Amino acid sequence: MSKLTSSQVREYVQQVLTYSNETKKRNFLETVELQVGLKNYDPQRDKRFSGTLRLPQVPRPNMTICIFGDAFDVDRAKSLGCDAMSVEDLKKLNKNKKLIKKLAKKYNAFVASEVLIKQVPRLLGPQLSKAGKFPTPVSHNDDLNAKVNDVKSTIKFQLKKVLCLAVAIGNVEMEEDVLVNQIMMASNFLVSLLKKHWQNVGSLHIKSTMGPAHRIY
Amino acid sequence: MARKQRAALLPTNIILLQNLVKRDPLSYREEFLQQYAHYESLRDILMASSSSIKENGIDEELRELIGFITAVCPCYKEETKQFPGELKTLLSEHHRDLNPELREKIIQCLVMLRNRDIISAESLIQTIFPLLTEYSAVNNNTETNSKALRKQIFHTLVTLLKSLNSGTRAARLNKTVQNLFLSGLTKENALFVTKITIKLWYSQIWNDSRTVEIMVQSTLSGDAKVSVAGARFFLGADKDLYEEGNDDSDDEVDISQLKHHMKINKKTKKQSKKFDSAVKTIKKKQNKDPNKGTALNFTAVQLLRDPQGFAENLFKQLATTSARKFNMEQKIIFMNLISRIVGVNKLQLLGLYSYFLKYLTPKQQDVTKILAACAQSSHDLVPPDAINMVVRKIADEFVSDGVSTEVCSAGMNSIREILTRAPLAIDQALLQDLTAYSKSKAKAVNIAAKSLISLYREVAPEMLMRKDRGKEASIKLQGSKKGKSLQFGVESSVQGIPGIELLDKWREEQGLAVDDENEEAAWEEQQKDLSDADDIDGDWVTVESDKEYEISDGDDDKEDEDEKMADADVNDDSDSDLDLSDDDESKNFAKTKKNKTISRKAKKKRREIQEAEEKKYNGDAEESFKKLAANRILTPADFAKLEELKMEAGVEKLMGIKSSIRNEEEVDADGLVGPVKRKQTKEERIESIREGREGREKFGSRRGKIATPHSTTNREKARKKNFIMMIHKRQVQGKARRSLRDKQKVLQAHIEKQKKKGY
Repeated sequence: MSKLTSSQVREYVQQVLTYSNETKKRNFLETVELQVGLKNYDPQRDKRFSGTLRLPQVPRPNMTICIFGDAFDVDRAKSLGCDAMSVEDLKKLNKNKKLIKKLAKKYNAFVASEVLIKQVPRLLGPQLSKAGKFPTPVSHNDDLNAKVNDVKSTIKFQLKKVLCLAVAIGNVEMEEDVLVNQIMMASNFLVSLLKKHWQNVGSLHIKSTMGPAHRIY
Repeated sequence: MARKQRAALLPTNIILLQNLVKRDPLSYREEFLQQYAHYESLRDILMASSSSIKENGIDEELRELIGFITAVCPCYKEETKQFPGELKTLLSEHHRDLNPELREKIIQCLVMLRNRDIISAESLIQTIFPLLTEYSAVNNNTETNSKALRKQIFHTLVTLLKSLNSGTRAARLNKTVQNLFLSGLTKENALFVTKITIKLWYSQIWNDSRTVEIMVQSTLSGDAKVSVAGARFFLGADKDLYEEGNDDSDDEVDISQLKHHMKINKKTKKQSKKFDSAVKTIKKKQNKDPNKGTALNFTAVQLLRDPQGFAENLFKQLATTSARKFNMEQKIIFMNLISRIVGVNKLQLLGLYSYFLKYLTPKQQDVTKILAACAQSSHDLVPPDAINMVVRKIADEFVSDGVSTEVCSAGMNSIREILTRAPLAIDQALLQDLTAYSKSKAKAVNIAAKSLISLYREVAPEMLMRKDRGKEASIKLQGSKKGKSLQFGVESSVQGIPGIELLDKWREEQGLAVDDENEEAAWEEQQKDLSDADDIDGDWVTVESDKEYEISDGDDDKEDEDEKMADADVNDDSDSDLDLSDDDESKNFAKTKKNKTISRKAKKKRREIQEAEEKKYNGDAEESFKKLAANRILTPADFAKLEELKMEAGVEKLMGIKSSIRNEEEVDADGLVGPVKRKQTKEERIESIREGREGREKFGSRRGKIATPHSTTNREKARKKNFIMMIHKRQVQGKARRSLRDKQKVLQAHIEKQKKKGY
């Protein structure tokens, strides 16, 4: 596997799609993820990278998002059908570790209105950032719907202690072209983050939630 | 005959017997049994009576016998089955009554038995470890040999664990020993456990999260010595102390202290020699370890199970009343450690910042270290108002006209360090106040203020005063209103591929279709390099650059033009903006003068072009990312080209070098003070004077000095002639005797002459 071309990617995407849409269709929406193994990289010595990328389409439409907002934003969130919490709701948690952990577990991401976000660390303590779910700010001028979509479609590459990482890049109901595009975008972006680019990439796999993994690089 | 003699000697000469037994165990069985019986009786006597035996020679005999039996143990396995157990009970139950030498011998023999696999390592450790509690330094026992005993146990344990872990990891043994240590972290032997754990960590025998857990426990133990040892471990401060083959700890020298001594004390040759040698050793050390600058035991910090909890507990230990047992130096070590952990893991520990406030005064001992800790502990996920307190306090205490240069620059530099990590933690008014110091006469302050300006030009130019913003930043502010202003909660991370639009443009110019993947060659490039690129970092990027240059000739010309334009813009800058570099005034002056010759109109036009380009550049990035990245896989060749194009366009500089990684770095406490001019020593002063004298003439009056050597002229002779000799001559008297008319004539002529000369 010394190289990767778009036609190869397309081929594997077709395999993934046929497996999960025809061979063995599941009762839920399967996600397609990109798994990366790095090499020649010492996380203890080399700098750890992190980068965010906004994909053209939302990879996981069923992501749950909660909005911490003032009265105005809570209203907007309700009209959108998103879950929302006001300052009072947050204060009710009373800095209780368990409750906050539960909250962090319940949602995939958080959005907070600009006025509120500075209080979030005080109200909720370190639990949210520990879980990697620190809220994204939204101002009153922003379109809340667009912001929510933005959050949903943003993927984050962040190297932790281990040399592998995985990100969701789409789902099996997407069209083949879209999926191929997203995969290529994500892998290009990832490779650009690495110090020695392709020399640092050990392997690339794509995999649907229940399907087999396909090694593409 | 000889044989008989030898046999007669045997009961007393044990060493000889040992030799013989080893050669032929079967035939000397009787002798051995005899000795064994002797040993048993002696042991019984020892166990029955306590201290009375010390006088007579039983002790020495017993020592010899134990050594003998241990040595021949493998030969008579059956007979000596009980032996190790007996030794163990002797050691664990009667250690108080034993003579120190005997005790040492027993431990030695147990180790020997372990080496022959007669007893297990676990049982050995379990026998000798409890002794530590008994003989620890804390239990004020009167015994003088407790230190030697502890040292022996220390070495025994280290060598034992080293030898057992030398081939494959003895995972189970490690685990039991670590558990033993964890449970044994009592008051008495905490320091011992800490030391041995550190030793094993640095000899790379233990390097798992359990080891780190032991260190966490000992750091939180509350005992000053133990906690500080733990903290220093995490900071990586005592690395060389424990490293293999580097046991001399007394060559630690504090160079700043020596410098101070040099200034205050009498200047003798001995002093200066001492200083020179100290500098030499330090330099040697730095040369040996190139990445010593990034202290912190990274591996250990990463293996922390719960950094948040650890930081919180450490802070509790430091901030509550129990901290009285720490002196200031120790407190600073803890502050440093907490701040590093908070910074690296981006933890939220809001109490920490208000705790710092107490210590932030210029008169505080080692305040630069505290300032560095402040900077290390700030990151972009802390609420800005928490850090703002610290910044404000530093600004109030350190930065004013009334304080000395060092204090002011230290304050300014540490504010800058804090703000690079958390740029939101300052309000506009205060920032502009601080940047006004860029006009300061003191160089250190001046530099610090300018670095603050250049930082904010990058992150938030709108907060700076108009004149400080610089050209690029103000264009960005005018051109695109959307300019992402700073916002709390948005982590600064890379978005998109920087410079991709350049690659896109280049590809278009080359006429390469987007999905025409001429990839075989491009990927082969990598294959070829992979073979020899293992050791050379990033070398492979530039491999094919020469080939590419030839193709892009047309492009280069254009680039040149751009560069010229950029040059002109730099000049534009200098008459409106403050110049960040420390250039001479005269140079600036020349530049502005040159600029005045360029007509205003041309300038305007250029600026418009520049702006248009800027706009195009901003808009392009996203589109070309979508276009390129989504439709083709970027090959190694592409990345190489991208790098090259970026270099040409200077994108790297435009983008700045900021990244979220910053907070993993240590703040250099000594560097915060900035370049402070110290008073020169006499030697230095004389040296500089000598240098100035070189190649110039001596100062002084030129009077009476002859340019070219010659004898006196007649004119000079006449002028110097004694007046008395001349007084009767016509030359002199004739002037006075002239008629009035003559005098007038001469005067008139003189006046006319003068007028013609222009006087």
